[in-house]
Amino acid sequence: MASADKPINTDVPEKDVFALHFLQSLSNLRRQNTFNSPEKTNDRVKKIKKAAYVSMARAAGGTSRLWSRALLRRAAKETNKVVRFSRRKKRVTWLRRRSNRRDPVEEEEKEAERLRNLVPGGGAMETSKLIEETAYYIKCLSMQVKVMQCLVDGLSPK
Amino acid sequence: MDLTGAFGARSAAVGPCREPPGLESLHIGGGDGGFTALLELPPTQAVELLHFTDPSLSSSSQAAAAAVAGIGLDVSPPPPLHAYGALTFPSNSFLMERAARFSVMANEQQQQQNGNVSGETTTTSSVPSNSDRVKTEPGETDSSQRLENNRCGKRKELDKKVKGSTKKKNKSSEENEKLPYVHVRARRGQATDSHSLAERARREKINARMKLLQELVPGCDKIQGTALVLDEIINHVQSLQRQVEMLSMRLAAVNPRIDFNFDTLLASENGSLMDGSFSGTAMQLAWPHQVTETEQSFHHRQLQQLPLPPQQWPYDGLNQPAWGREEDQDQGNGHSSLMVGSASLHPNQVKMEL
Repeated sequence: MASADKPINTDVPEKDVFALHFLQSLSNLRRQNTFNSPEKTNDRVKKIKKAAYVSMARAAGGTSRLWSRALLRRAAKETNKVVRFSRRKKRVTWLRRRSNRRDPVEEEEKEAERLRNLVPGGGAMETSKLIEETAYYIKCLSMQVKVMQCLVDGLSPK
Repeated sequence: MDLTGAFGARSAAVGPCREPPGLESLHIGGGDGGFTALLELPPTQAVELLHFTDPSLSSSSQAAAAAVAGIGLDVSPPPPLHAYGALTFPSNSFLMERAARFSVMANEQQQQQNGNVSGETTTTSSVPSNSDRVKTEPGETDSSQRLENNRCGKRKELDKKVKGSTKKKNKSSEENEKLPYVHVRARRGQATDSHSLAERARREKINARMKLLQELVPGCDKIQGTALVLDEIINHVQSLQRQVEMLSMRLAAVNPRIDFNFDTLLASENGSLMDGSFSGTAMQLAWPHQVTETEQSFHHRQLQQLPLPPQQWPYDGLNQPAWGREEDQDQGNGHSSLMVGSASLHPNQVKMEL
């Protein structure tokens, strides 16, 4: 418990990193044959959304953040990719989940529960770590939103 | 007995706000050796530690620090301590006095509870009130024994200081940020066992990070209370996620209209992102070059030129600069970028090592 409080680093890479990753993922999607003419747009929407999240996770620093790892793992599960991470902390996260489930009694814990449901990978984090990850997640999300907004504005017909 | 000698000297030290600085430095000098022996810290770090606490605190807390250092010195011979703990209390006036001082230091020393401070003379009266505190003391000393085995992790028990005013609390939180262990102050009227200390340290950590979040989310500065702030944050995250979903829907709608290739994407991207976020020119050709300019170190492949057919976009070349830049921020491995590059080329392929 008596661990150091190093200065919390919430620097997020620049917008162009996000832009780059997102464009790459979109181009990947484009190359898939079934992309541009499915009957339902819902599939496309879902794919684009997933591509957005995955590219955001990659742009935000790969596996150095818990939520990005959880995002990538989730995405990989759906596509049956085998994703190998350098550190396997499965047992630790399992124990954390157990201890986290135990007390949603205070009001703050309830809020923390809601936050955990929102932020990917939140169930495995302690509250203080959760808050740090949330800060970073918010920054990355807003960056991604900016990128997507610019793209849509650029591509939409005048 | 050297214990009584140190004891007598320390009794003068515990009377705070009156200790002459010479005696204080003596204690620090003596305590320094004790600390390092006890904690296996490099001496410079311990000295820096003690000296760090000193200038930032007022003189009265310096007295407390000196007293702590003195007690740290006192703790270092373990067997006599255990012997004292095993003895029955009334026969051990030394233990009572030490307990009085320890508990005084741990609790409200600032308030100059003279009944406790001049415990040399009023031991009998303070016996019943201190009996429970004495029980905490062997626990504390036991944990201080454990410190000899631990690394600089659990210094909480030894470093209990008295919180006088809120100013010191701010400084303690700063110290928490800088020093490699938790400097926990026992506040007035609060229990000082390890559980509540840990709880308090955790609370402080959480509050520090909440402050970060508050600055991040617009409009959270004015809200008081952590629950409402958390509500606001949750709303913000939800709204951002909904925005992402909305924009992805719009993108999906936009896509089939334009011949969706990378060149046009880049053009549109550059055009709209030109508001200061890109440092270079907005030309299509300039964009990959600009990205490589910001790349710092990495294994380089040749960056292929732009006039390629769009389906053969040089992913590898573009991938590496971006990964290079951000991996430098993360200090990741070099070869991971390669793997990711190949992964993005073949999205259905299996191995993606991150």
